[in-house]
Amino acid sequence: MENTIIDNKITHDLMPVPFGFWGKIWTGILLLFCGIGAFAYCLQLKNGLAVTSMRDYASWGIYISNFVFFVAISLVGSLITAVLRLANVRWSTPLTRISEIIAVSAIIFASIIIVVDMGRPERFLNLVIHGRLQSPIIWDVVVISTYFFISLLLLYLPLLPDLKLLIQSRGNRSDRLSKVYHFLGSFWKGNPEQVKRSRKSINLLCITIIPVAFSIHTVTSWLFATTYRPGWDSTNFGAYFISGAFLVGAGAVVVAMYVFRKAYHLERYITGLHFDKMGRIVVMLAMLYLYFNINEYLVPAFKMRKPEAAHLMDLFAGEYAPLFWFAIVVGMLLPIAMLMFKRGRRPLPMFIAGIMVVVGAWFKRYLIVTPTLLHPFLPMQDVPASYHHYFPSWQEWAIALGSLAGCLLVITLLVRIFPIVPIQETINEQHETAK
Amino acid sequence: MKPLNKFYTMLMILGSLTPVSLYVKAQDSTKKDLLVNIGYYNVNNNVAYLGIHARTKTDGKFKPVGGAKVRLYLDKDSAAYLTGDLITDAKGEAYTTLSPSLKDLWNSSATHTFIALSNGDAAFNAARTETPVAKARLQIDTGAGRTISVSVLELKNGSWTPAKSVDIKVAVRRMGGDLAVSDKESYTTDSTGKIDAEFTREGLPGDKKGLLTLVAKVEDNDLYGNLQVEKTVPWGSVLNSENSFNNRSLWAARFKSPIWLLFMAYFIFISVWSVLIYLIYQFRKIKKAGRTV
Amino acid sequence: MSNENNSRREFLLTGLAAAGIAAGCSSKKSVFEEASGDEVKATGKLVKLLSVDGEVIEVDEAFLKPVPHLPPVSNSEARVGIPGKKFVMVIDLSRCKNLKKCQSACNHAHELNPGQNWIKVYSMQDAEHTAPYWEPTTCMHCDEPPCVKVCPVDATFKRQDGIVLIDSDRCIGCRFCMAACPYSTRVFNWSAPDIPAEVAAQPYSCESSVPQKKGTVGKCDFCADMTRMGELPHCVSACPNGTFFFGDMNEDSVTNGSDTFRFSDLIRDKAGYRLMEDLGTKPSVYYLPPVNRNFPYGSGVEKDSTGHPVTIN
Repeated sequence: MENTIIDNKITHDLMPVPFGFWGKIWTGILLLFCGIGAFAYCLQLKNGLAVTSMRDYASWGIYISNFVFFVAISLVGSLITAVLRLANVRWSTPLTRISEIIAVSAIIFASIIIVVDMGRPERFLNLVIHGRLQSPIIWDVVVISTYFFISLLLLYLPLLPDLKLLIQSRGNRSDRLSKVYHFLGSFWKGNPEQVKRSRKSINLLCITIIPVAFSIHTVTSWLFATTYRPGWDSTNFGAYFISGAFLVGAGAVVVAMYVFRKAYHLERYITGLHFDKMGRIVVMLAMLYLYFNINEYLVPAFKMRKPEAAHLMDLFAGEYAPLFWFAIVVGMLLPIAMLMFKRGRRPLPMFIAGIMVVVGAWFKRYLIVTPTLLHPFLPMQDVPASYHHYFPSWQEWAIALGSLAGCLLVITLLVRIFPIVPIQETINEQHETAK
Repeated sequence: MKPLNKFYTMLMILGSLTPVSLYVKAQDSTKKDLLVNIGYYNVNNNVAYLGIHARTKTDGKFKPVGGAKVRLYLDKDSAAYLTGDLITDAKGEAYTTLSPSLKDLWNSSATHTFIALSNGDAAFNAARTETPVAKARLQIDTGAGRTISVSVLELKNGSWTPAKSVDIKVAVRRMGGDLAVSDKESYTTDSTGKIDAEFTREGLPGDKKGLLTLVAKVEDNDLYGNLQVEKTVPWGSVLNSENSFNNRSLWAARFKSPIWLLFMAYFIFISVWSVLIYLIYQFRKIKKAGRTV
Repeated sequence: MSNENNSRREFLLTGLAAAGIAAGCSSKKSVFEEASGDEVKATGKLVKLLSVDGEVIEVDEAFLKPVPHLPPVSNSEARVGIPGKKFVMVIDLSRCKNLKKCQSACNHAHELNPGQNWIKVYSMQDAEHTAPYWEPTTCMHCDEPPCVKVCPVDATFKRQDGIVLIDSDRCIGCRFCMAACPYSTRVFNWSAPDIPAEVAAQPYSCESSVPQKKGTVGKCDFCADMTRMGELPHCVSACPNGTFFFGDMNEDSVTNGSDTFRFSDLIRDKAGYRLMEDLGTKPSVYYLPPVNRNFPYGSGVEKDSTGHPVTIN
């Protein structure tokens, strides 16, 4: 009897609710950004990539750094859900849905932004028709679609019990949302066979997603590391990218935790304990990433080979120094310093640290892509002056921001439709602890 | 036909190129002068070819004139002697051969004059060029020790007689330009009309059988025009062009990816997707279990 | 200049003559044809001609043209290249004075978007106390091309004759090849190239690289259309100083149009080298060091209207 009351309370608390006033404003703003981005992309389709500031030397720009950023963030799905689940960590249960939603939407926009970067997006199918297995791009295409599929499954399977609750809560209503729930989960009865198979499948998924997640970001790092260029020609790159990805993913989850907790009053479910634990994880990941950064910059800087020297000096003390040190200090050192202490792991400081990590990570990706391209082996001569520098054009900013907004929009919509915190699992855990 | 007179000889000495150009004086100062050169080419003593090259001088530089209409005559500029109606291409060049109708005329003399006539148009003044040619032939022979002897014979009083003091180049046919058979650039014939050259390009790649094509040439000669003769000799090394084009490699085409890469990629792909397909199968089971109960 | 013209013209006619013999006298394939790798197909239509000996002979019409007329090669032929050939270029740095005639001839021949250059002439100075020199660069047509390795769709490919080409009808514009090329040789058509409409309307040919297309990558193609005809690339014939030598490695010979050298002798005697040998890309372009120069470095420095040297940024 008591259980039922608690169950109902949990169910009531965690049910997705229609947008409130701020929810509508938020969604509207995101839609506006998406619209501006779409408009800028139309201009780009019409006039070619000339509307960007990319030129023959800086031939990749913020589209690619944004792509790397999205791929990085999407890794969080495997971290929070899979790694922690396999390690039998219980406290992470309320965070699994958030991280899977982030993963799925980030991977969608990673695919979109890479098409945006193509000079001939209408030839996208050439990748299938003429695909060449030797090219790391093909590896990326295969791995990203696999990862997308796994992430989708990992979002969907644990959702099934909640869908049953959602359907129950809708009663006999036959609006669009109810139809979606029915379509997705009407077959779920929660009988022992289903529960058993589902649990087994989820476990298998958690095992599978880890190597695939490592592949997706390692292959993304190989888009750079398979070239000769200073700053990219590194055997450290795969691990460096993955550690960075886990960091930014964890940062994003922290931010999302804080926002959803505030917006949906989930203080009972996403507690100080969760922030504390996530804080520890972020510190550990930030230190790991810092370690790889030291590896990545100190070793070549010790030798200062001629092609590397110009690039490194530009990062350490030249044109990119402010951004470089911003990414190091704000993206890693300050969060470490803050979250080392218990007081720093309270929700609000955690939120700020999360934002710092994510923003720092975005600029870090920019620093990985652009400065290297502007330090080629042969000098930059015989080209217009504009080819010597890169600062994104408004169209690039609009499209990049639009894609970020789009990612947030997808997250927002998914959260509108599905419970942010898995209801059934929370109930089950409640029952177990009650025993 | 008129034998070469002193006037022509003088002009030939003045001109730096073999085909001597005579320009019709500018009648209209707004029009440009068209410079037409005639080249006579006898290759392998087979069919003779005539080439014209139309140019004009703009800002002190020669530029080819395309689309220039030039009529080429043998000996006399009247219809019966017409050799060809030519229109130059973008490089200012056009070519023709001698037509069989001129057989009797051609055989009637050992020396001829080619006449190029252009009537002029809106942009260019009319032009007339005459180039004398004496019939001559080259003979190439090879001897022991990879020596090459080349002789120049000219037709004099109905018989082929040696021509002396003619500059000859002896080379091996190569793409884009011919490679001299030795470090010596050119040879001059002696009173017997002969030169001897030595082939010193040891180990020069020939074709698949080691064959090389030797070529002896007289270029832009004042009297004989351009003569060329070829001979194939087995003096080259056998070409064994190893080509990795069809090998499997990372830079090869899509169906030529390395085996190890195929193996790795398919192994990973199949193992991951077989798990995923198994999961889809499980999912269908879950769906079924929901319906049966 | 006139010498070059003559030698080339004579060359064309040689081709014709050799073909003429083949048709007129015997069925044997002429050596020239074998060398060019292309066969002129007999049309069966005979034309009567007068020989130098005053005889009337019959020759197949197909052999009459100064340059054997070749139908444009198909995409699949263009991807395979000319059998038995291995093209090579030698750039003699002692002859370059930054005239950039190579560049303008290249830009014109390939109908490049104004401002775009496939050939670049770098002002190089390797170290503080070493002498500056001019270094023209083309595509290196590497034997281990890093750009081809990374292309996801076979849009850029390596042919059996060593040439690396681009199929602009297939390129998806990902620009991975540009990132992969250590020689910065590739350029991108960021917008639709500003070329005459009739040029833009032509069907694209991998061998001529014309017309360049929006959203695709372009680069030096070793003038594959010219080499198929047995002619020299445009940069080679355009350089008044004979800086560029071109030839077939399998013939061990390179020429700049007026001088022809045995490739192996030239590289040995003048200590030829390739750029960035340590990367293992195995370029097909060799350089001769700038020793015993024909021109001092300073003679190539561009001056602005006031006579001051233009600084290279």
